[in-house]
Amino acid sequence: MRNLLVAALLAAFAASVGAQGQKSTYKVPRTPDGQPDFQGYWTNLTYTPYERPKELANKPFYTEKEAIEVFDKAVDGSENQVVHYVNTDFGATPVQTGAKPNLRTSLVIDPPDGRIPPMTPEAQKREAARAAAQRAGGPLARTWRDDRGTVWCVFHERAVPAVTAPYGSNYQIVQSKNYIVMIYEWNSERRVISLDEPHGTVPLYAGDSRGHWEGDTLVVDTINFNPKRTFMGSPGTPPAVSVTPTFHLMERFTRTADDTIVHTYTVDDPMTWTRPWTVEMPLHRIKGPMLEYACNENNVDAFTTLRNARLQEAGKLAPPDRTRSVEDPKATVLEREEKK
Amino acid sequence: MSRPNIAASLLATLLAGAALSAQTYRAPRTASGQPDLNGFWQALNTANWDLEAHEAAAGPVLQLGAAYAVPPGAGVVVDGPIPYKPDALAMKRKYAANALREDAEVKCYLPGVPRVMYMPYPVQIVQSTDTILMMSEFASAVRTIYVNGTARPPADTWMGWSNGKWDGETLVIDSRGFMGGTVGALDEEGAVHVRFLDRAGNYHTDGLHVVERIRRTDADHLEYEATIEDPNVYTRPWTIRMPLYRRVEPNMRLGDFKCEEFVGDLVYGKYQKK
Repeated sequence: MRNLLVAALLAAFAASVGAQGQKSTYKVPRTPDGQPDFQGYWTNLTYTPYERPKELANKPFYTEKEAIEVFDKAVDGSENQVVHYVNTDFGATPVQTGAKPNLRTSLVIDPPDGRIPPMTPEAQKREAARAAAQRAGGPLARTWRDDRGTVWCVFHERAVPAVTAPYGSNYQIVQSKNYIVMIYEWNSERRVISLDEPHGTVPLYAGDSRGHWEGDTLVVDTINFNPKRTFMGSPGTPPAVSVTPTFHLMERFTRTADDTIVHTYTVDDPMTWTRPWTVEMPLHRIKGPMLEYACNENNVDAFTTLRNARLQEAGKLAPPDRTRSVEDPKATVLEREEKK
Repeated sequence: MSRPNIAASLLATLLAGAALSAQTYRAPRTASGQPDLNGFWQALNTANWDLEAHEAAAGPVLQLGAAYAVPPGAGVVVDGPIPYKPDALAMKRKYAANALREDAEVKCYLPGVPRVMYMPYPVQIVQSTDTILMMSEFASAVRTIYVNGTARPPADTWMGWSNGKWDGETLVIDSRGFMGGTVGALDEEGAVHVRFLDRAGNYHTDGLHVVERIRRTDADHLEYEATIEDPNVYTRPWTIRMPLYRRVEPNMRLGDFKCEEFVGDLVYGKYQKK
C-alpha cells in the first residue's frame, strides 16, 4: 500500500516537474468552440507554504528527494483533520483531495525570497489602525460582521485571489464561447470571466474579471474589487489586509497536462505593497461533483458565537477552553462548560 | 359541413399555425449543436409575489407604503388553482400570515427551484456541452444542470440536484433532492419550516420534484414551464408557464447581490451588541 502511494506520488511529481520545467509537447484538448478546455473539477490544495520559510530564503527549489520527504512529513503531520473515507467529501485532507508534491519551496515565486514584499508606510499605519479598532471592540464578537469566531458568508476571500486553504479549496470550471465560470467550493463562490466585454464600473467582491487567450494561455485581468473585503493571505502569512480600489490582479492559466493547470498570478496594489508580487499555484484535476455550500442558510456558527458571547458577558457561561481530548490526543476539542 | 363548423375549423387551423410557428422556431446552435440558451434572462411578471391570479394589495410593512405593495397579476399557474391537500391549504394560510418570518427570501437563503427562475433578478445561463450553469444575481445562487446526467441527488440541497436532457428544441430538467427547510435551527430567527414558492405563502417540502421545459421562442424570449409535484402538499402535479425575457442591455453582467449583508442585523439582531 505504502509503495503504491509512493509510486502514485512519483508519477504525479514527474508531471509537476514537467509543468514547471521543460517545454512540454502536451496537446491541450479543445472545447467545441476551439478554446483550450479547462473544464472539470480542480484543486489547488497543497502542503507548500504560501510564503517561504525564512531558513529557505536562498533555496527556491527542493530536489526531488527533498520534495517527497517534505510532502510525506506534511501528510503525516496533518493533525486535527477528520479522516474521510470518501475522497469527494467536503473537508477531506489535501492529500485525500488530490494535493501533489511540489518542487517549489513556496507559492510566492517573486520577490526571489518567496515572501510578500513589505507594505508601504501608509499601508502599515492604515492596517495598524484597523487592527486597533478591532481590538477596541473587546475579545468577544459583537455583531455578525466580526471575524472573531463568526463565520461570514457574504464572500469567501480565498476564492480570488487564490490562496491555500486547509481543505475545500476546489474549483469547478465551465466554459461557453464567451464566458469562463470558476466556482470555488467554499461558499460556492462564483467568478464569471467575460471573454469579450470590457470591465464594468461597479465593484464586485471577487473583482471584475476580463479574460482573453494568448495562444493556449488564459489571461485574466481583474480590477474593481469591493473595498469592503480583505486579502486573507493563507495559513502562516500575516493577518488579512485591506483590498483597496487600486488592487490589480493579473493571472495566467495554462493547461500543461491532462491533470494539471499551471496558475500564476501577480498582485499589484501600490496603496498597500512596495512592489508587485507573483504566485504560482498548480491546479490538479480531481473527481467531481461539487455540492452546494449553503453558508448563510441557518448559520449555526454565527448564532452560537454571538449568543455565547452575550452569555459570557452576563457571567452565565465560562470562556471556551481548548483542551486535548483524553481518548484521542491528536484531536483538538472545544470544551465549553456551563457555569453553575 | 355547416358554416359555424367551417369557421371553427378555420380558426383551429389558424391557431394551430400560430402554435406551430412557435413550436418550430429553430434556435441558433452552440458549437456542439445544442439549441443556444446562453445569455441573461429575467421574468417580467408578478409570480414572485403570488403564482396565482391576485389583486393589488397593501404590502406587509406599513412604513414601505406603495414601494413594497403587491402589484396585481393574472397568475402563471396553467391548471390552477394550486391543488393543495385540505390540511396543506390551511398551512399555506398560516404561513402566508407569517411570511416575513417564514419566507427564506427575507433571510437571503438560496431560493430553490423553480422560484430562482422568476425572482426579479437576472439569471445568466452559461451553456457547455455536458454542463449548463444557471446563475441568479439573488444570493449568488448557482444551479448546475448535468446534461444527460442520471445520478440521484447525493444529498438534499437548497438548489436541488438537476439532470437535464435535450428533447429537440427543448431542454428538459428533472430536479429533486431539495431541502424542505432548515434542519436543527438553533434559533427561530434562522429557521424556515417549509420553502416558499412566492411571497404569498405557496410552499413545498422536501418531497418536491420539478420538471422544467425551457425552449427559445425567438431571438430574445424563452418559454419557461415547470411542473411541480410534492405528495406532501398537493393532490396532483401542477404546472406554471411564463416567458423569460432576454436582458439586451450592452455589457449586461451579473452584479453582486450578496444579500446576507443586508439581513445579518435582522437575523442575529437580538444577540448583537451595538
